[in-house]
Amino acid sequence: MFRLDRKLIISATALTAAALFTAGCVKGDSTAGPGKASYENGKATIDGALYYPVVDGKTGPYLVNTQEQSGFTYGRTPTANEIAAWDKDVMPDGTGLPEGSGSVEEGEEIYEAQCVMCHGDFGSGGGGYPALAQGNAYEGQKTLTNQRTTPDKDGPIRVFGTYWPQASTMWWYIQSGMPHPKTKSLSNDETYALTAYMLNLNQMEIDGELVDDDYVLDREKFLKIKMPNEKGFEPNIDGPTALEDVRAYYNVPENFGAQKVKPSERCMTDCQKETAKVATIQNGGIADFLPPISIVRDLPVEEGEAVAGKDDYESSCAVCHVDSSMGAPAVGDKAAWEKLKEKGVDAILANAINGFGGMPPRGGTDLSDAKMKDAVDYMINASK
Amino acid sequence: MNEKTSQKDLETLSDDKSLNESNRRDFFKKTAAFSMTALAGTSLLSATDALADDPAIMHHVPWGQKLGDPVTKNRYGIPSAYEHNNLRRNTKLLASGNFQASIAVCPIHESEGIITPNGLFFSRSHGGTAHIDPNMFRLMIHGLVDKEIVLTLDQLKRYPSVTRTHFVECPANGGQEWRGPQFNSLQFAKGFMSSAEWTGVYIKTILADLGIKPEARWMLAEGSDNSEMGRTVPIDKVLDDAMIVWGQNGEALRPEQGYPVRLLLPGWEGNLCVKWLKRLEFASEPFYCKEETAKYTALKPSGKAVQHFYANEVNSTVVSPSPEKPWTDLKVGDLVEIEGLAWSGMGTITGVDLSFDGGKNYVEAHLKGLVLPKSWTRWSFMYRYEGKPLLLTSRAMDDAGYIQPTVDEETAIMGVESVYHRNGVETWEVTAEGKVNHVQIRS
Repeated sequence: MFRLDRKLIISATALTAAALFTAGCVKGDSTAGPGKASYENGKATIDGALYYPVVDGKTGPYLVNTQEQSGFTYGRTPTANEIAAWDKDVMPDGTGLPEGSGSVEEGEEIYEAQCVMCHGDFGSGGGGYPALAQGNAYEGQKTLTNQRTTPDKDGPIRVFGTYWPQASTMWWYIQSGMPHPKTKSLSNDETYALTAYMLNLNQMEIDGELVDDDYVLDREKFLKIKMPNEKGFEPNIDGPTALEDVRAYYNVPENFGAQKVKPSERCMTDCQKETAKVATIQNGGIADFLPPISIVRDLPVEEGEAVAGKDDYESSCAVCHVDSSMGAPAVGDKAAWEKLKEKGVDAILANAINGFGGMPPRGGTDLSDAKMKDAVDYMINASK
Repeated sequence: MNEKTSQKDLETLSDDKSLNESNRRDFFKKTAAFSMTALAGTSLLSATDALADDPAIMHHVPWGQKLGDPVTKNRYGIPSAYEHNNLRRNTKLLASGNFQASIAVCPIHESEGIITPNGLFFSRSHGGTAHIDPNMFRLMIHGLVDKEIVLTLDQLKRYPSVTRTHFVECPANGGQEWRGPQFNSLQFAKGFMSSAEWTGVYIKTILADLGIKPEARWMLAEGSDNSEMGRTVPIDKVLDDAMIVWGQNGEALRPEQGYPVRLLLPGWEGNLCVKWLKRLEFASEPFYCKEETAKYTALKPSGKAVQHFYANEVNSTVVSPSPEKPWTDLKVGDLVEIEGLAWSGMGTITGVDLSFDGGKNYVEAHLKGLVLPKSWTRWSFMYRYEGKPLLLTSRAMDDAGYIQPTVDEETAIMGVESVYHRNGVETWEVTAEGKVNHVQIRS
């Protein structure tokens, strides 16, 4: 029987592949099942879960092929350019963070053009999109002990400034995942500018200096950012002891709200406090289910023929136009569309193609002029 | 009973009387094991029930007299048109602004066994479902390895495969209900999960050739979708049972599950099982990805939040009855199966207890079917329906020694703001009429 030995593979630099596999038997422990709370190297599992070693050709209930499985010849070495093209992550120590700079002022300009339609004025959020700031970050961080145990209490403020442990996450997030409809389109300088604007909205300081309206952020200053809630997380995941710390944390169930009990000692009778009450759904709960719940087994109502523009509207335009929460004219709002039509249908289409107010050109999509026209016509017709 | 009467039997029936007799004989045969008390309480023997002829039996049915579809129709099969309500569902409140950064939840009230059909597997993404050209797919493994590598899809699939049945669960499953029940629906209360038989390769098999540097402690897994969803995985899991999978229930992954390739970390948070996978980078320090800092951290009353919260803890729910599948059709004395699911990302389900009084007293339910590690497990309890109000609560245990806490026990430690990893026991209130409502028992 062969198995991969985890201790060996970690220190395998000088070893040949074949040496990574070692014949051996796994000693059964006192528990009845095949799972173990520690790995081959004796260390506790990282997550407090069980590990199922290969014993007698099986891992848990699954048979495995125990022939040697190494020495594969597939694939090739990536080129340096290829790695550089994909390795775009930005780590807290600055690994991956390029040179560049951007001002709060420039950031606000980009924000107003490309971000405000989702994240709201001054990062206030809206329509379900996350808020980016909620007042002063240092004050907001103090709300993290808030618990809404009764309806009148305020909850904790969990936005970038008050909650996130590392600023590198924000830079990386903006450049890889924003703006949402057209990601990976911002330059390094634009990303610095937006990050500067975020810091400004959160009223944060860098090296004792407030990120005010005139602030210009660059790489050097970025690396001096200390997030207010940097120490707000457990277990520790940094440095050489990280994995030991994580293992220790998850092997204490109380740390994460879990509970262990010997099966023979679990409560089977009279397990409740006298004060136990039935809590019911209040105010109707959440029930706007799409589609509405039904378990009826009948023939579906025939759908009408495909309506031009409907699919594109739903996948690209409804994001903002489904209701008025984004500031865009809501489909179905007769009054709003009647007003738009005063300018003429061609003007509406032109605005949709070229961008208007908070709406980026083509709503940030790649739709052709013809498809844009179908979508706009659909929205007009659906709002009569 | 009616379904049991075959077409052949039907043709031999000469008159109403014989049908009636046949039904009655059949009934007594099947109820021979009933206790006399229970029989006395049933209304099944009422004259009307016994005498009415069922048109579904008495008349030829349209599909029985004309030709069906040729085998050439539906080269890829689809469900019966009558099953059109068995669907993933969503709600605006579970969307970050749009339905691209959102979730569609699994109709587990209609689920059978421990496998979710691919078309009903819950779908969560942070930038919409990506549609990847498999010919353009590349997997890059780099960083603190001795030998960096790029693989095409065909090359990846040349590695020896393993096939494993595991659930995948969003850690926000039930996360809307820390402060009280919100959803009068099993699909929304517990449907942020699904289960499949996954096929792929253990990452440790690939790494055996690549060699990991001694200082490598973490692996970044990153997707190629709009959001470039990424997560940091500790090396322990990578060298244990982490898989790169391309197969889902015997076919290619569905786009919603990351076609052509996703990471699968058995038992761990669904978001860690990065979809549309393109890159694995090994490093000595963690990456602080957006979805392990903005989301997927669990704030405790101390103001500290649990980060890198990996395994979904032991959990269970009653599936039948449920708000969607009530007991309003039952008659007093009916013998009915109470059925449920139990699952644990920590190990294998060892038992499920069932309470009829909201968790005051428990009896042992019976596990049934395959009982696999880090997998959905079915459980069952036969119950003689009494037509009186009940509070059905299930409580599961696993072989790692964990047991589901009560709602009070869990909130005592985690508070009500932690969003993720809520696994306190679930309670259904069954009314005297057999309706089912979602409630919680709190002190």
